[in-house]
Amino acid sequence: MKHGKGLTFVGDSRVQKYDKPKLNRDYSEFPGRTEEFYPDFLLKEWMAGAVFLIGFLCLTVAHPAPLERMADPTDTGYIPLPDWYFLFLYQILKYTYASGPFNVVGAIIIPGIAFGALLLAPWLDGKKERHWKKRPVATGMMLIAVGIIFYTTWESVAYHDWEQQNQQGQIVFSNLDAEDPVFNDLIRTNCTSCHGGELAGGSGPNLIEPDLQPEMVEAFVRSGSGEMPAFEGQLTDEEITAISEYVAGLELTSKDEASNVEESAE
Amino acid sequence: MSQKVTRRQFLNYSLMGVGSFMAAGMILPMGRFALDPLFKESSASDMIATSVKVADITEEPVSVDFTFEQTDGWYVSEVTDFAWVYKEGDEIIALSPVCKHLGCTVSWASDASNPERFFCPCHNGLYEKNGENVPGTPPRGPLDMYEVGESDGFLTIGAIKENELV
Amino acid sequence: MLNRIYDWIDDRIDITPIWRDVADHEVPEHVNPAYHFSAFVYCFGGLTFFITVIQILSGMFLTMYYVPDIINAWNSVYFLQQDVAAGVIVRGMHHWGASLVVVMMFLHTLRVFFTGAYKSPRELNWVVGVLLFAVMLGLAFTGYLLPWDMKALFATKVGLDIAESVPFIGEWIKTLLAGDATIIGAQTLTRFFAIHVFFLPAALFVLMAIHFILIRRQGIAGPL
Repeated sequence: MKHGKGLTFVGDSRVQKYDKPKLNRDYSEFPGRTEEFYPDFLLKEWMAGAVFLIGFLCLTVAHPAPLERMADPTDTGYIPLPDWYFLFLYQILKYTYASGPFNVVGAIIIPGIAFGALLLAPWLDGKKERHWKKRPVATGMMLIAVGIIFYTTWESVAYHDWEQQNQQGQIVFSNLDAEDPVFNDLIRTNCTSCHGGELAGGSGPNLIEPDLQPEMVEAFVRSGSGEMPAFEGQLTDEEITAISEYVAGLELTSKDEASNVEESAE
Repeated sequence: MSQKVTRRQFLNYSLMGVGSFMAAGMILPMGRFALDPLFKESSASDMIATSVKVADITEEPVSVDFTFEQTDGWYVSEVTDFAWVYKEGDEIIALSPVCKHLGCTVSWASDASNPERFFCPCHNGLYEKNGENVPGTPPRGPLDMYEVGESDGFLTIGAIKENELV
Repeated sequence: MLNRIYDWIDDRIDITPIWRDVADHEVPEHVNPAYHFSAFVYCFGGLTFFITVIQILSGMFLTMYYVPDIINAWNSVYFLQQDVAAGVIVRGMHHWGASLVVVMMFLHTLRVFFTGAYKSPRELNWVVGVLLFAVMLGLAFTGYLLPWDMKALFATKVGLDIAESVPFIGEWIKTLLAGDATIIGAQTLTRFFAIHVFFLPAALFVLMAIHFILIRRQGIAGPL
């Protein structure tokens, strides 16, 4: 079908019918050793991708993604930690002039300035010169920023108690019954802030795994030990006995028999 | 001078009008839907009765449990919290045990070298008896406090509020 | 046979110029690691894209088992990781991929910065790239809550406290993200799920499309 000045279209569509030109270009017009994206260069990219994927799959098999025990908002003893790429921000918030009354500096102003500067980099550094050695201000600022991120991340990792982190979050299946009044009225207010919300350890030791005797627990609760305070006087004798028997009766179970995990409705 | 609106301008304005209507018609209900939490009235919390007699409260802080029903959208659950309660003169004071540093739980006189202070075991935060944070320790402010009341001789605990003693 | 099908389609909708533009464009010597090994730094952008594809695929498959509900979320994640064949690998890909995509994006940003590739005429693409970085961090933050384990809940509490410290509008932001003024619970989880699975990926796709179209239109920056 013909329209206008000798143009031919496919059927009554707007797609032109023409002799397909050879689209492969002559490379001689480009300087240096250029190569076409497909297939030459793409193969190199895919080889890099394949090498990466091998390493990546090995990582996923060697290190299963961590999963801590089910979230329990009432467990007040848990010390939180963000994922590693937010650690630097978390660490900045601990510095004197970025926390307390200056919290807004650390939480909003510093990250805001950093992000704004990154976003506006083409205009903050608007000169034509591209080589990093020939624009020392921009390069210096970026190196300082990267340095700060690395240093604060390292500081945060070094400060954190990883042993406690692993213990306070681990999945433990036990016969702990959170509905028991002894647990709800006594243990939740006196013990879990140190021994973990499910008594599987926090800043204080795990109370489920060791095979404890009631008399032993009672001695600890009465007179304390190390960092553990003595509860004699704070709690009545009956309360201490109830706690001791409850704690001594705790043991590990399989997932099916566990009573500490909220089962989904069946 | 009266300006003539061309046919093209008229059609453009009409397009903008109809377009805005369609955009608003779609976005308004969805926007109100998404913003709903902002307009939800936080339900006035009732005073919760505890099992502690007002007459039994001394000047020594003790932990007092209270259980309330928490409604989180469609999910209703029983939550047990506790407060540090003591008497200051005739006034009863109930302090929240949540540390103002990272939300750990503080306890009274649990640090041997600070027998008259609240102590947070996580990062050694200290508070005076009235909840004021001791300068130089990590917390960012004083402990919150609860409204308190009395019903048939028993202590009742109400809404959490900022510390008014400091 | 395949050729004839292709010709039949091409005859009607003329698709050859579209893919020819991508396939035949010249890749200059200074970005080709085969000629200069140091040119491997130009791989980080491509690897970021590759991991993003892995994230999208593994995320799509994870939703076959996952439920965004505070009673069932943890149980569903525990189940898919312990009881479903290859669950460890699929969740592992999504978990570790989230970390690696941040690393690769960081390296890609540094490469573009130190080679000055963000300068005129490529300012707009730099801005789109920085926005992509922000969207990716948003995906990381919202995805962290979804397994509903201890770490997830308390890290999100800290994150929302930081959002709350924004002057004037901080409490609104926190309430909008959490779905409730005080509780981090059922409504927070569904909100984060919606943001993680629908809103941010939509933004991600739009920005990535602009990022790639701009690269094709402007070509790669020349050698230093």
